[in-house]
Amino acid sequence: MKFYSVKVEEREELGSYTLLKYRWTDGSLEPGQFVMARAAGYPATLDPFLARPFSYYDYDGEMASLLFEVRGRGTALLDLVSTIEVTAPLGKGFRIDPGLRRAVLLGGGIGVAPLKILSRRLNAAAIPHNVFLGFAGAGPAAVAREFPGTGVATIDGSAGTHGTVLDAADSLVGYEAVYACGPNPMLAAVKLAARQNSLCQLSVEERMGCGNGSCNGCVVPVRGGGYIRSCIEGPVFPAEVLAW
Amino acid sequence: MVVRDQETGVDLAVELCGLRLRTPLIPASGTLSREALGEVEGVYGAMLPKTTTPSARAGNPPPRVAETPAGMVNSIGLQNPGVDSFLQDLDAFDLGIPIFVSVAGDTVSEFALLCENLAGEDRVSAVELNLSCPNVECGGLAFCAGPASVEEVVATCRAAVPGKPILAKLTNEGVVENARAAESAGADGLTVINTLPALTIDARARRVLVRGGLSGPAIKPVALRAVYDVSGVVNIPVIGSGGVVSGTDVAEFMLAGATAVQVGTASFVRDPRMILDEFTDYLKENSMGAAELTGALRSVRPVLTGGGDI
Repeated sequence: MKFYSVKVEEREELGSYTLLKYRWTDGSLEPGQFVMARAAGYPATLDPFLARPFSYYDYDGEMASLLFEVRGRGTALLDLVSTIEVTAPLGKGFRIDPGLRRAVLLGGGIGVAPLKILSRRLNAAAIPHNVFLGFAGAGPAAVAREFPGTGVATIDGSAGTHGTVLDAADSLVGYEAVYACGPNPMLAAVKLAARQNSLCQLSVEERMGCGNGSCNGCVVPVRGGGYIRSCIEGPVFPAEVLAW
Repeated sequence: MVVRDQETGVDLAVELCGLRLRTPLIPASGTLSREALGEVEGVYGAMLPKTTTPSARAGNPPPRVAETPAGMVNSIGLQNPGVDSFLQDLDAFDLGIPIFVSVAGDTVSEFALLCENLAGEDRVSAVELNLSCPNVECGGLAFCAGPASVEEVVATCRAAVPGKPILAKLTNEGVVENARAAESAGADGLTVINTLPALTIDARARRVLVRGGLSGPAIKPVALRAVYDVSGVVNIPVIGSGGVVSGTDVAEFMLAGATAVQVGTASFVRDPRMILDEFTDYLKENSMGAAELTGALRSVRPVLTGGGDI
C-alpha cells in the first residue's frame, strides 16, 4: 500500500473529537470514501503497526480533513504529530442521484464524519436535505455546531433529544434517500426504519488491516450468505445488500 | 551469466527450484489482492495469490483482524471462491512472472484433488502446500501438525503433480522435524514460517477479540531462527517468511539461509517497492548479488547462546 507523507496544516478540537486538515490536490474524491492514516515515521517506528481507516470529513479541492476520536495509541499519535502518512482515497462512496428530491443524513457518534462532505455535495447539487446526529452524550455532541440546523439526540439526555438519532429524526417519511453512518446496531435500526424509502445507503465502520482488499479482514455479512470487504465493495453499501 | 538490474547495476535474481526469479521477493499467500496488483509491477520475482481450496469458503465471522504490538492477529478462515473459480480468474495475476499457487485441504485427498487440478495448468509454475493455517481445523488437530501427516500430504501431492515444484509451508512448531519429513517425501522447497497461534482480548467488553495467527515484525526473530535452523539440516531451498518489513529484513532472512523471501503483512502498511529498493541499496553497499547472500552466514561459526539444540 502506498502512503504519502503530508503536513498537518490545522488541528481543531470539536467537542471530544479532533479535526485534522492536510493538503491534498491529487485528484477528486467522493463523499463516503476513506483513507488509511497513521503518524509519520514508518518504518522507524513499527508500533502501532497498522494504519487506521477514516472517512473524509470534508474536502474543498485543496484541503482534506479527517475527524477522529482518540481511542488508542494509533489515534493518540495522530493527535500529536505534525506530519502524518495517508493513502489516496479508497473505497466506494455514497451514491448521489442528480434528480434526488429530498434526503436525510443520519450520523451516530464518530459516524458523523462523512456527513459533512456529503452535505456539501448535496448542497452543490441543490438537493434539499436534513441532518440528524446521535451521540452518547454532550461531549461528542459538541461537533454538531459544525452542522447548522441539525437535530441532535444523546443517549444520556445531556443534549438535544433524549434517545437515538432515529428519535431525533422522528420519522423518515417524505425522504427519497436515507444516508447513514455509525455503529452497526444503529445502521441495522436505520435499515429497518427506512424500508419504505426508495434509497438507503449505509456507511459501515469496520476494523481494517490493509484498506486495499488484500487481507479480507474488514468484511460484512451479505444477504444470501458470505461476506464482502468493506474497503473495496464498501464502505458505503445499499442497505438491502447487508445481512443485518 | 549474471543479469544485472539495468538501473542499479545490482543483480537481484535468484534461482528457486529451477525457476529464475528476477527478485527474491514473493507475496505471502493471502496478502495481495487483485485490486492491489497495479502497485507491485516489477517488485516480485513470483506471484502467489491467496490460498485456494476445493470448494468455496465463506471464511470466519468478523472481527477478523486485531492490531498487536508490532504486528496483527488475523482469523480470516481461508475465505476464497474455490479452485474452479480461482483458475478462471488466474489470468488477472499474470504479471509476466512465475505464478505459485497456494492450496489447502481438510484431508489428504483434498490436497491431492487440488494438485491434480493444477498438474495440467501451464500457467502455474509451482504449488505451495498450506500445511499450517492456524485458522481452520485441518480435519482434526493432528492433521498437518506432525512429521507423519506432513510426509503423507507431501508424498501424495508429489505424486499428484509430478511436473511442478512443490513447496511445503510449515508452521513454527516442530519446524525442523516437519522440514525433514517434507524433504524426504519429495518437497522441492519449504516456506518457513506461517503465522503463530495467538489471541487478542477486549478487556472493556470482556470477550475474545480475535483468536488466530500472529504476523508482522513481532514474529521476525522466531521466523529467522526457524529459517536458520531448517536451512542447516535440509538440502532443498527455504523461502523465508515472517515479519519482513524492510530491505534489511530481506537480507537477514537470506543470510539466515533463505533463497527467497515472502512479504506479507508489510504490504498492508508499506509500498513493497520500498522494501525492494532498500534491499537493492543493501546489495549495492555490500557489492553483492542477491543469490550470494543465501547462507553467507554459514561460513561463520555460530555462537549458540541458548535455546534448544536442533
